[in-house]
Amino acid sequence: MSLEGYIIETIRAIIFPGFLFVFFLALFYEWFDRKFYARLQNRVGPLYTGFFGILQPFADFVKLLSKEDIVPQKVDRLLFTMTPLFSLTLSIFATLLLPITSASGIVSFNGDAIISITILTFICITVFYAGISSYNRFAIVGAERSFLQLIGYEIPLMLSVVGVALTAKDLSLSSIVGSQGGLWHIIGPQALGFIVFIVAAQAELERIPFDLPEAEQEIIAGWNIDYSGRRLAMFRLARNVELVFLCGLGVTLFLGGPLGPVIEGYAPLFYTIYFVVKSLIVLAILTVVRALFARLRIDQVVRFSWKYLLPLALIQFVIVRLML
Amino acid sequence: MSTFDIPIGPQHPALPEPLLLKLEVEGETVVGVDFDVSYMHRGIEKLLETKTYFQGLPLVERICGICNAAHGVCYTLNVEKLYDKEIPLRAQYLRLIIEELSRIHSHLLWLGVAAFEIGFNTMFMYTWRDREHVMDMLESITGNRITTEYSQIGGVRRDISQELAGKLLKTMDIVEERTKYYIKVALTERTIAKRTQGIGYLSTADAKSTCSVGPIVRSSGVKFDVRASDPYTAHDEVPFNVITSDSCDVFGRVVVRAQELLECVNMIRYAIKHLPQGPFRIKLPWKPNAGEALTRVEAPRGELLHYTLSDGNLKPYRYKVRTPTLANLGALRAMLTSKGRYVVNIGDVPITYGSIDPCICCTARVHFIDVTKGRSWIWTLDEIRERSKRGRLLR
Repeated sequence: MSLEGYIIETIRAIIFPGFLFVFFLALFYEWFDRKFYARLQNRVGPLYTGFFGILQPFADFVKLLSKEDIVPQKVDRLLFTMTPLFSLTLSIFATLLLPITSASGIVSFNGDAIISITILTFICITVFYAGISSYNRFAIVGAERSFLQLIGYEIPLMLSVVGVALTAKDLSLSSIVGSQGGLWHIIGPQALGFIVFIVAAQAELERIPFDLPEAEQEIIAGWNIDYSGRRLAMFRLARNVELVFLCGLGVTLFLGGPLGPVIEGYAPLFYTIYFVVKSLIVLAILTVVRALFARLRIDQVVRFSWKYLLPLALIQFVIVRLML
Repeated sequence: MSTFDIPIGPQHPALPEPLLLKLEVEGETVVGVDFDVSYMHRGIEKLLETKTYFQGLPLVERICGICNAAHGVCYTLNVEKLYDKEIPLRAQYLRLIIEELSRIHSHLLWLGVAAFEIGFNTMFMYTWRDREHVMDMLESITGNRITTEYSQIGGVRRDISQELAGKLLKTMDIVEERTKYYIKVALTERTIAKRTQGIGYLSTADAKSTCSVGPIVRSSGVKFDVRASDPYTAHDEVPFNVITSDSCDVFGRVVVRAQELLECVNMIRYAIKHLPQGPFRIKLPWKPNAGEALTRVEAPRGELLHYTLSDGNLKPYRYKVRTPTLANLGALRAMLTSKGRYVVNIGDVPITYGSIDPCICCTARVHFIDVTKGRSWIWTLDEIRERSKRGRLLR
């Protein structure tokens, strides 16, 4: 590759549509989530920082960065300090797989659909290690719960992705997007897969009704109880980037990715706009789900996943297989 | 399987007030529980002995911020018993109105807190928004949102004008409409049912044997309501139903409280329409007769009990308050340690605990402090028993 090519690749990875773009998108999505959630609950939500409080997540992030750095005495220091970094790195790497400005992501290869799901599991493992490394009994309960939950939702999530990959006859995200040039996957039997995906995404992101690992009323903050300052900021950012990633994955798999009608010559710009708008729709669905339900109990979550979510994913899988 | 202890409280996001629950946990299930309620002893009973009867009222209302109207009514009824004078009927009706209004605000608040305990934040926000209508009405009637001090010795502090009564009726329409909506949500929403049905089980026998009161005992199918069994203000003239539920669990408590809201609305409507004419207050002398008096009032949380011992002076010789939360703590232990089908998970502890609508700050009453030795302690029941046998309660 020429020097020019390297520079362009680096800029793509670091600035747009890579790290910086995802960073600001993550903060924007958090604002959208908080504001929409607040409006659903008849509250005002973020209001004072910037236009309708749009800078509030950024202000929170900066505030957390400037806070005192506390590492409790009894924690496993290495794990405790490394897990936030791992979590953030993994989720940012995951977003590089997403097709944003074109039909393929910055990193694109055959099988990246599988990698994207694997990364989600890895993020859950970092959550588990974050919990057990702090030796706090609430954190340990939270860590246990996050793993129990993973047992429930991971297989349905994978099945929903496999269903889409079957239709596209390929395991790379770019060809999954390419196969939706005509009709989006959400139209037809994959609608079931979309429902499964939304529920599993809600569980992956630890949002109501699946926010057990950090259930405030039961185990205070769960696995992140001992985290404060920069480490908490990193975890929160990781969570927001993961939110972007899961919304983007939903768009990629079911809503035709960034594809749409474009004006010649401005395709990347249009693709980006389509991507953001579509993923905001997915985010809005996630937020409505968050506002509509009460928190389930851990045994109820696992039972729900195996009793309803898995059969639903299997039905979707069978229908897709039969239709091929 | 070995057990380990999880302390919940005295500082915990799910607990609005300082209570220590020492849970003995086996995996995720609770097998034993121990309480400590005395993190907030305020010495109100002792303080009341240093104040005249008229000065005591503002203090009594501050025993509890939420059922303050019940405390105020109970105190005034109690002191009036010592005077042996008839209180005007209009005052009794007005007391009933303010008491039921505060019951509405307390139950709406509880619905919100219960929703919050099971992670249903949207319902929490909605109920607290609608509670504002009631708070505004309390403010226009009494001049204060929380500590109203409306009920006074000899009557009530202010009259309700015709215009205000119209406003109150309109508010009742709003409250009724919203309550019906909440009942619909509570009955149909599956996640609420999953988190409340079969949780915090308290059998009818246990409810009776632990002497629990209020919505707790009514949700276990016992028809016990002081307003009906021992009418104290205008409750014998205003018709109402005692709501009970046979489900014996948290869901039953939600339903009982929600249905009681509708009853309160109807009672207030009836009371306004049949408000008798006449004075709303009579003047009573500063010193009541010597003697003792005991009153029971149905506070939003259950039966509230006040006792005075008067020696004919300006100030009470002894004043005693028994709040409903104290009566319900025994029931809470039974709920948290129920076995078999109704075993309690860690995740169910906040809602089970919340279902008794605890108000710990009202509860702690006995606390001993030795200033010279710098130590403080609490007597256990056995110690109290032993001392009462020996005939000297105070050393």
